[in-house]
Order: sequence, then structure tokens, then C-alpha cells
Amino acid sequence: MAAWDLSVTVEDLGPDAPPVTISVASDLHVGGVILKLVEKTQIKRDWSDHALWWEQKQRWLLRTAWTLEKYGIHADARLLFMPQHKPLKLGLPNGKTLRLRACFSNPVFQTVTGICRQLNIRHPEELSLLRPVEEKKKKKDKDAAEEIYDLTEVPLSSVSRPSLYNGMPAHFADSPQMEEIYKMLSATQPPPAPEVIAKQYRPASVVDKAHIHGRWLDSSRCLMQQGIQENDRLWLRFKYYSFYDIEPKYDAVRLSQLYEQARWAILLEDIDCTEEEMMLFGALQYHISKVSQSEPQMVSSNSAAMDDLESALLSLEVKMEGESSSASEMLENMTAPELNDYLKIFRPKRLTLKGYKQYWFKFQDTSICYFKSKEESIGEPIQQINLKGCEVAPDVNVAAQKFLIRLLIPAPEGMNEVYLRCENEQQYAQWMAACRLGSKGKTLADSSYQSEIQSIRSFLAMQKTSSGSHGNATASDESINTHSLVSPRYHKKYKTKQLTPRILDAYQNVAQLSLTDAVMRFLQIWQALPDFGLSFFVVRFKGSRKDEVLGIAPNRLIRIDLGVGDVVKTWRYNNMKQWNVNWDIRQMAIEFEGNVNIAFGCVTADCKIVHEFIGGYIFMSTRSREKSDTLNEELFHKLTGGHEAL
Amino acid sequence: MDDIDAMFTDLLGEMDLLTQSLGQETVPPEPPPSAKEEVKLSYGFTDVNASLIDLEDTDLDALMADLVADLNATEEKLAAQIDDLRTPSPPPQGLPAPPKGLSTQPAPAAAASPTSPQSGTSSNVSTPASSSTSPLPPPPPQSAKPTMEEIEAQMKADKIKLALEKLKEAKVKKLVVKVLLNDGSTKTLMVDERQSVREVLDNLFEKTHCDCNVNWSLCETNHELQLERFFEDHENLVEPLLAWTRDSENKILFQERKEKNEVFRNPQNFYLWKKDKKTLRDIKDKDKELLVQENFCGTSIIVPDLEAVLHLKEDGKKSWKQRLFQLRASGIYYVPKGKTKSSRDLVCFVQFDNLNIYYGKDFKSKYKAPTDFCFVLKHPQIQKESQYIKYLCCDDAWTMNLWVTGIRIAKYGVSLYDNYKTSEKKAVVSSAWTNRSTPSPSSSNQSTPSPTIRAKSPNQANGHATTPQPGPVSMDSGFVPPPPPPPPPPMGEVLPPPPPDPVLPPPPPPLAAKSFKKPSPPQRHTPMNFPPPPPAMDNLPPPPPPPPMNDSFEDPPDFLPPPPPAAGFGSLPPPPPPVSSLPPPPPAGYGGMDQSLPPPPPDPGFLPPPPPQPMFIGGGAPPPPPPPPLATAAPRPVRPSGSVKKMPPAPPRRTTPSLSGGGGGGGGGGGGDFMSELMMAMNKKRGSS
Repeated sequence: MAAWDLSVTVEDLGPDAPPVTISVASDLHVGGVILKLVEKTQIKRDWSDHALWWEQKQRWLLRTAWTLEKYGIHADARLLFMPQHKPLKLGLPNGKTLRLRACFSNPVFQTVTGICRQLNIRHPEELSLLRPVEEKKKKKDKDAAEEIYDLTEVPLSSVSRPSLYNGMPAHFADSPQMEEIYKMLSATQPPPAPEVIAKQYRPASVVDKAHIHGRWLDSSRCLMQQGIQENDRLWLRFKYYSFYDIEPKYDAVRLSQLYEQARWAILLEDIDCTEEEMMLFGALQYHISKVSQSEPQMVSSNSAAMDDLESALLSLEVKMEGESSSASEMLENMTAPELNDYLKIFRPKRLTLKGYKQYWFKFQDTSICYFKSKEESIGEPIQQINLKGCEVAPDVNVAAQKFLIRLLIPAPEGMNEVYLRCENEQQYAQWMAACRLGSKGKTLADSSYQSEIQSIRSFLAMQKTSSGSHGNATASDESINTHSLVSPRYHKKYKTKQLTPRILDAYQNVAQLSLTDAVMRFLQIWQALPDFGLSFFVVRFKGSRKDEVLGIAPNRLIRIDLGVGDVVKTWRYNNMKQWNVNWDIRQMAIEFEGNVNIAFGCVTADCKIVHEFIGGYIFMSTRSREKSDTLNEELFHKLTGGHEAL
Repeated sequence: MDDIDAMFTDLLGEMDLLTQSLGQETVPPEPPPSAKEEVKLSYGFTDVNASLIDLEDTDLDALMADLVADLNATEEKLAAQIDDLRTPSPPPQGLPAPPKGLSTQPAPAAAASPTSPQSGTSSNVSTPASSSTSPLPPPPPQSAKPTMEEIEAQMKADKIKLALEKLKEAKVKKLVVKVLLNDGSTKTLMVDERQSVREVLDNLFEKTHCDCNVNWSLCETNHELQLERFFEDHENLVEPLLAWTRDSENKILFQERKEKNEVFRNPQNFYLWKKDKKTLRDIKDKDKELLVQENFCGTSIIVPDLEAVLHLKEDGKKSWKQRLFQLRASGIYYVPKGKTKSSRDLVCFVQFDNLNIYYGKDFKSKYKAPTDFCFVLKHPQIQKESQYIKYLCCDDAWTMNLWVTGIRIAKYGVSLYDNYKTSEKKAVVSSAWTNRSTPSPSSSNQSTPSPTIRAKSPNQANGHATTPQPGPVSMDSGFVPPPPPPPPPPMGEVLPPPPPDPVLPPPPPPLAAKSFKKPSPPQRHTPMNFPPPPPAMDNLPPPPPPPPMNDSFEDPPDFLPPPPPAAGFGSLPPPPPPVSSLPPPPPAGYGGMDQSLPPPPPDPGFLPPPPPQPMFIGGGAPPPPPPPPLATAAPRPVRPSGSVKKMPPAPPRRTTPSLSGGGGGGGGGGGGDFMSELMMAMNKKRGSS
């Protein structure tokens, strides 16, 4: 067979180096070409990751046993010889940027799997890559300032079979820097400054959201084929909102990234929620950031039952200290701790004229009782109020030194309103914490009492800093600007000092949670939002003349009227008989049981993306059924690949 | 009636005396229904006397029987406790049952501060937290034998524990409750505050011979407000009853309520409510199943997305106003006038933390409501007209059902599903049972512990109670000193909080057992015989649901307090046959064991899942295990599943034939006499069957 010249650009020689020309015959296989090439360059190095990329055809020549003829390569082919793994800048859900080497030659599905293995994220099928939204405004100095965590030094071989060391993949244990990166991955980030939130791109409408979903990469094709270059920037995100088998013990990175993605979805109003829900999300973020400072590793929570008992034992023991008592004495001594002080009380509904009146108050068990004075506190109280089941609300203005506890106490006739006025922060924190516990039927012996006091104090501190110095004050790390915890809409609606009590209010219900539980709770509430899991696409239904929105959820498709925003129709996947893509006219057709047929063309995204979304969710739903842990990649491609997979 | 009254007072007085005489020990005697109770009893009636007068003779008899049983139990328990206190020397932890966190810690803690017992205890106490926290498999520390100091410290801790239990027990409230049945008759029960509605229902099943289907519910009515609601099975019954006013005419009804579990039978009606009726009717079973899966088995419970125009009676006003309401997991919202339906514009109407939902009856005439399909949200303590009550009115029954159910899902979450699964299991079991035989329940009395007994005596009732099982049991055993018989009661009391979640990591128990065990003779012999090792308990909170033939199962519980077997069961798929061996031979074996106090079973290694191992070892050490079992196989399958659940049904009681199930259930040790009693009961049964 006749020999001809083939010129190949070898990337390692530098961008300006001329192509290397070798003499080949059509029956030479690709492996032979590479061998010749390597000999010719005379460079000694590990070439095992290198492969040939055929530029005109946009394909890798990965089958080294195939001949040039089989590939259809002639002398005019422009070939590039380069590594399959190249560095990529990866924006993580938590907003940090990671530089790592990703595979440019395998389908993106595998690339993501590789990345997740490197980062120790289980169930990589739930994630994918998308092109970032361009940051238009700040192109100047911003990029330079950004910190990039570099993982490119990680040898590829070690990543392929990660072994755990101290609960993290061994490659993170190599150096302190690497450990630092792992920490960044697995720990939740502190709340962002309000200005940062305000500056981020926020989708303003369903259509905006739909545009974001047009950015997903095609899972069946490789990065090179999709025009991604070395050192390009991509986002790694959870794409399919169907989170399988979350296990805090193994999922430190997965869980914290999921939390971050959810948090940003809330903060940027990517998913809508009500004001009450926003306050609860804010309270959880506050709690999570607070707890993660004191409890850096995710530790599984211990049971509340034990807690209770321990605290009881503890208080018992305190009482017994010193005297060696018999069991009976121990018992006599044992009473729950109590709180005694002078406070002022006011009953708004009754005898309004009287105003606040001072009494000697005693908090015991779950009740408050009060007496005329300390001296008379041995006798019958003037009144005893059981706080169990009551509502407790703060009414505080630090600047004005107003420390009010508003109690709404249930009685057969309705709710009675009672205000307690405290003199100072200290007193307020103690009594407020006591009232909160009491309303939940807990006594001061409960282990959460001290932490409750602490959190009330730090909230008070928050009020102080935010009212004292404006904006980015010299906030100690204890205090957080509450504007960091809610979406910008509420920055306008409320001042921090108005916001703080509302968040504190929601906070009392979550203050006892461990870090993991709090993160899980955040995710649960997020998942319980009506719009959770919806990915939007603007489509044009067959036979319709206007654009409409298709929402794709883990278990259903919904059709939304773009004008009104109402859900017009819902179809569930389990009623779906088949779906097809007409690639020529780029139209999707779906058939449901009961002879329901729909067809639509996609406006804001390639129909491959829509197709992949639907197929992907169907794939996700098959996971629970097959017990094996190995991912059925073939099935994924079958469901999502379209004609290219066949 | 006066005599009855007198009798009752007498009885109470006697109990008082008894307890006082026993009460020399440090611990406040557990309050049997006594003076204090008299006050409590009165809820729902004007007072005790009146309530007693109201009772039918048969009710009274039953109640008396219960009280007597209660008394007996108390007596024995107290006696045992006294023994404990007096002779503290026997090392405490004979029990195989490993308390989760608690038992483990003593060792290390004690070691740290061996000298002073006081400090020892303190360290014990405090450490538990840390030890229990670590999720990972507990390190096998047990190398060293406990030193004297450690033992002492441990004893101290045990005492404290005991004291705490007593304290808690002392505060337990009990009510006599008259339940109205469908046929207009009533049943009277004593309910203690730790009992869940599920347990009370089981109790009623026992008394009424109904078919035990999943629709049976307890309902409370509020006469004054014309409200009613059925309790959820996991709720405690006493608490809501305490909110009743003294003179209220509220009632407790025992009825079938189809709507209680409708959402699990026809989830499409709630989750796909927008579809047309025909589609909903024709939906396939597999799709229903999928809906339940999607909405109740995921990481988050999904609340149906409801939206409707409802009529709202405004605070204190007479008129009804229409508003567009939406239900979300976080509460009920409405769309303010002139705003869009977008989430951010919604105004919160109520959140569910402090509210219960009720059906309104006859509101059309009472409040001039547009229809009679009304529901109400109010704080459970509110019993009279108040501006804090929210009245809502729906256009039709369908809508009302949708909303009430949706709100229940939002409020109670996964508990509803757990309740349903439990009640379903119960229904299956009992239907199987009814097919087999129908023993007359009434015949039961003390000797064959009847259901009533259980219900009454708080300890026992609770011990078996669904929730607490694991937690309490294990704790108890860890701390309570020796005497065999008493253990059962304490258990019930101790557990304050509901059962630990099943998810907990593998039980560390073996460890604990190991390190301390040595010295102490096992208090509960039973565990050893019975295959199920106590350790398992930690994991599985739920008591095993009764085996198909629940009767057999039931008996034992009364005698043998500890449910451990059950727990073990859950973890070990195939329970060892020995259980079934109940027939005559075993008793002997048990008795022997008791006395001989074989050394505690060496611990089998702390592998989390090793439950089976322990058992074998345990069994082996002491007397040879009872003759091989047989027969029992059948029941098995059923139980395991039950144990997995969080809230298994309370053990039913009743007389029955084969003890097989019971043996398992009864893991705890009754004293010798218990055993003989048990034998008698069994024989009797066998004879009858």
C-alpha cells in the first residue's frame, strides 16, 4: 500500500511549533501512528493519556486498533495529538472554583463520574456540567481576586480507585493544602455578604430560568465535541432533583454541596417560597453556620432520648455535689432548676390603664408564677401560668433598651396575652430561653437551655452591630447580618432589625438540631416546596401558536401558561408509554396512556437537552429497583442518548 | 351505687397503705391510682365518684379487676425495688440488654475517677453523651474487668437512674376514660399519660371483639363547640383529655373512620385531585403504590398541593367571607386581594405547630355557615368560643376531606404513614386470629393476665408500649440492680422519650454488657434462653407486632416484661426456634436459670449486627437451651416486618393457646412464681384449645 504523509500537531511542542509529519499507509492502525509520532518528537515522557483528535470531524481516534482507512483519514486530515485529561475550572454549587483535570475524550456522563470520584461525591448521575452564566459587569479586576483551589496535581491513577483515609479520599490527605480543599468541599460555607447576593444573577422570570437550562452540556458527547477548551470554566451542579440514598456518613461532600445549591436557589429566588418559609430557611442557615463553626465535622446526631436523660442526670448530680447522701436524700434534693427574679408584667387585654407592674417571678418546671415580692414567695402565688403549648414572641429593641417577651397562653376560653418586661439583656435572655423551653414542655433542666440563652444573646448582638455600624461592620464572627440569610427582596422589605426577630422566631424551632439534622431539614423543606425539582423550558406545542413553558420534574411534566403562570396540565411519567424525538425537525413527541399524545419543539434549549432530562428522570427512577450499586451507564445512554447512542 | 363507691375508696385506701408500708425506701412509692389520681381521674366526669356512679356494673368489675392487677404489680415491683436498694452489692448490670449509650460509658468514666464514688457517678453521667454520640462502631474497650471502684460507681449510677425513674413514675397521670361505642354502650378504661392512642385502640379491640380494621379510631367530641376529631394513633391520649374543662360534656368515641387512612388507599384522590373523577377511579394499583412511595417514602414528605376558595368566618364576626386558600407544607396561606398566586405574595393564614384540626358539626345552623362541610383549626386547649378559633367552610364533602387530610399530612408527616402500616399489620394479624379461635376474653382475670391489666398498670403498659420499647428497656436493665421480677415495671417508666429511631447505628450493647456483666448474675434469665439477644433492641425500637396468633403472644407480655426478644427478632430474621419451645420443659429451665444466676453471657464481640451470636452464647453458658422448638415457624415471618417499624402495635393481650410467640415476647425475667403462673395459664389454655 502506498505511503503518504500525515501531519499531526503535537500539543506538547507548544502552540507555535509546526505540525510533525510522518509517513503512513492507510492500513496503519492508530496505535502505530502514535508510536511513530512519539518517536519523531523525541520527547521522553508518559504519553499514555494522549490521543489523537480529528479536528474536522470533531472526534477522537480512541480505537488504536482501527486503521486510518477504517477511520477514513486521508492526508488532508488535521489531527491533534494531546492529552485526554485537561485542566478545567469548575464552579461548585458552593460558589468556589476548583481547578482540576477532567476527561475531554469520554462522554460528559463519564467525565462527571470522574470528577465526582475525585471529589468524593456519590451518585454522580445526579450531577452534570453546564456553561456558566456570563458575568457581564465585573470583568475588570474581579477574576484576579478569586481564589482557585487547585486539584490538577492529583495523579489520575489514584483517583480511579479512591481509598479512604480519615474519611476522605486518600489524595486529599497528601498535604495540608489538599486537606484544606477537602474541608472547603465538605463543610458548609458561611453566609455570603448581602452585597454578594445582590450582585449575583437572579432569574427574574420563568423564561429566565428556562434559559439557564439551555446551558447543560450533552451527556452523550465529550467536552471537546462541545467546544470546551482547556481551562474553560464550567459549573458543576445537581441536575436531576432526585437524590438517591443520602447517607450523611458517606456523603459529606455531596450533602454540603447539595445544601449550598439549595441555599443559593433560595437566596436567588430560583425557587419561590413564602415569607414564612424564607424566615425558616434563614434560621436554618444561621443555625448551620453557627453549628459548623463549633462542630466542624458532620457528626451524626445522638438521640434526643439520651440527651434528655443525661441532662436530668446532670442536674441531679449538681444538686448532690458535696454531700454524700443516701439515695433518699438524693431524691429529696432533686428538683429541676428554677429561675427567680423581679420582672414587670402587663396584660394588654385586661385593665389596660394599669400598665406594667412589678412582681417577683419564679420559673419552675414549665410554669411561671408570680408573687407580690420576694419575701412572699413562699406562699400561694398570685397567679400561675403554665407555658406548655403557648406561643412566645420577642419584642426587643436593643437601642431603646426594650426587652419584652410576649406570651400567648392557651386557655379553654381562648388565648391570653401576657407581656413580660425584662430590665436588661442578661435577664431577657434567661427568661426568654426559659419561656421557649416551657412552651415546648421542657424544663430548665433541659440540655438545650444554655444554648438557647446563647443564641438569644447572639441575636441581640446582631441587632446591636447592625444598628450601630451600617453594613459591613466589624462584625465578630458570632454575629451575622441577617440580610445574608434571605433573598434580596427582603433586603428591601425589612431592615435588619426588623428581620432579626422574625428569623429568631423561626429559629427557636430548629435551634436544637445537630449540624447534619439541620442540613437535612433544610433540604427537606426545600424539597417540600411546591415548585421543587422543576426545570423549565420554553417550548412550542404542536398546534399552538404561542410559546409555553414545559416544566420537567422528577415524576411528571407540567405545561404552564406563560402569560398567567398557571399550570395547565400535568402528565406523570408512570403513564408514559413512549417518547420519540424527530431530530430532523427537532420535535419531541410523547405518548401517554389513554391515547394522549403531545408534541412540542424546544425554543430555549436544544431538544437533546429536554430529551435527556426526561430520559434522565426515568433512569433515576429505575435506581431503587435494582439493588446493585453499580451504575447502569448503558441504560442511561439508552434513555438519554437519542439517535447518537444507537 | 354507694357501696361501689365505698369499695372503690377502700381499695384506694388499701393501696395507699400498702405503698406506704413499702415506701420506707428512699424512692417515693409509685403512686398507684391513689389520692393524687383521684383528682386526675375526674377529667371528663365531674369527679371520680360521679364517674364511678355512671359506670355500668360490668364496667366496674372490669375496672376493679384492673385495679387489683395494678395493685399486685405495684406490690411486687416495690418489693423488688426495696430489695434492690437494700442489697446494692450485687453488681448491677447483669442484664444482657445493653443500654445504648449509657451502659457503655460507665467503664471509661469510672476509670477516670475511680476514687470518689460521687465523682465517679458524675463522670458517668456526663460521659454518656460523648460515648453515645460517636456513631461509629464502639471500640471494644472491654479488656479490663471492672474494678471495685467502677462497680461502685456503676451502682451509684444505677441508683440515680432508679431514682429518676421513680420520679418520673410519680408524675405519671392516669385517667379513667369512658369510651362510647357505636351501639351506645360504653367501655371504661384506665389510661396513663404515656399510652398512645394506638395502645388504647388495641385495648379496645380486645374488649370489644371488633374486627380490628384500620379504620377504627378514637374520636373526641367537643359538645360546646360542636367539634370532633379523631386522634392520630401516635398521639398520647391523656394530654388532650386534660385540656377538657371540668364540666365539659365532651366525649370519647370508638368508631370506624374511613377518612383516617383513605390517603394511603386512594392517594390519587389527594395528590391528583385536579384530575377528573373517572381517571381517579380507574387508576391502577401500581400507580397508587407509586404515589404513596413518592409522597411518603422520600427524604421529604410531600403535602398535596391544594388550592381552593373556602369560606372563612372572620375573627369574632358572624359573616363568612370567601378567600382563595393554598395549602403548603409550611402552613395554610391565602392570596390577598389583587395579588397573584405567586408564593412570595401569599399571606400566611396559619401554621400548624400549635393547632389541631377538627370537623365542625351542624355549623349551618350554629354559625350560619354556607354548608355543613366545615373544619376548624384551634389550639387544643381552647374549649370554648374564642376569637382564636379559625372556622373554615368548604363547598362540598370532597373538598373538606381533601383539606382535612392535607392538613393532617402537613402537620403529622410521616407519622401518619407509620400509623397506617402499624394498624394494617394489626388488622391482618387479628383477622388471622379470629379465624382460628375465639376465646372469650371476659374469662381472663389475674391469673391469665388479661388485656385490661396491661392497659392499666402504667408500667407494664408502657413497657410494652410501642414506642419506647428499646430505649427504656435497655436503660433499665443497665442500671437497675438485681432482682429479677421487678425489672419489668421500671422499664416502662424510665423511658422518657419515645423510642430512639431505628436508624441508630449498630448497637453498642454487647460491649457494655461485657465489661460490666461479669460480676452480676444476670437478672433476667430469660434473655439467655431466648434467642433474641437484648443488644438487638437498641436498634429496633419497635416491639414486635404480635405474631399471627396473637393470643399466644399476648400472654407473656404481662408476665415477662422485657420485650427484648422482639427486638432481637427484628434484627435476626430467623428467630431461633427455642422460643417456640414454651411447652412444659422450658419453664423448668427458666426457673433453674434464675436461681443459678449463670454468669452473664460473655459478649460475643461487638459487631453491630451480631445479635444472633450473643444469643447463642448466652444460651449456651447457662443451662442448656430448651428443647428444640417446632411449630413456631409460621408466625415468624409476620413479626419481623413489624419490628422494623417505628411504632409497632402495642402488644395485645389475651388468653391464648400457644405461647410460642409469647416466649419470645417475654424475654424479661419474671420471678419463679411468674413462671409457674405462666405455666398454669398455658396449660389451661392448651386444655381449652
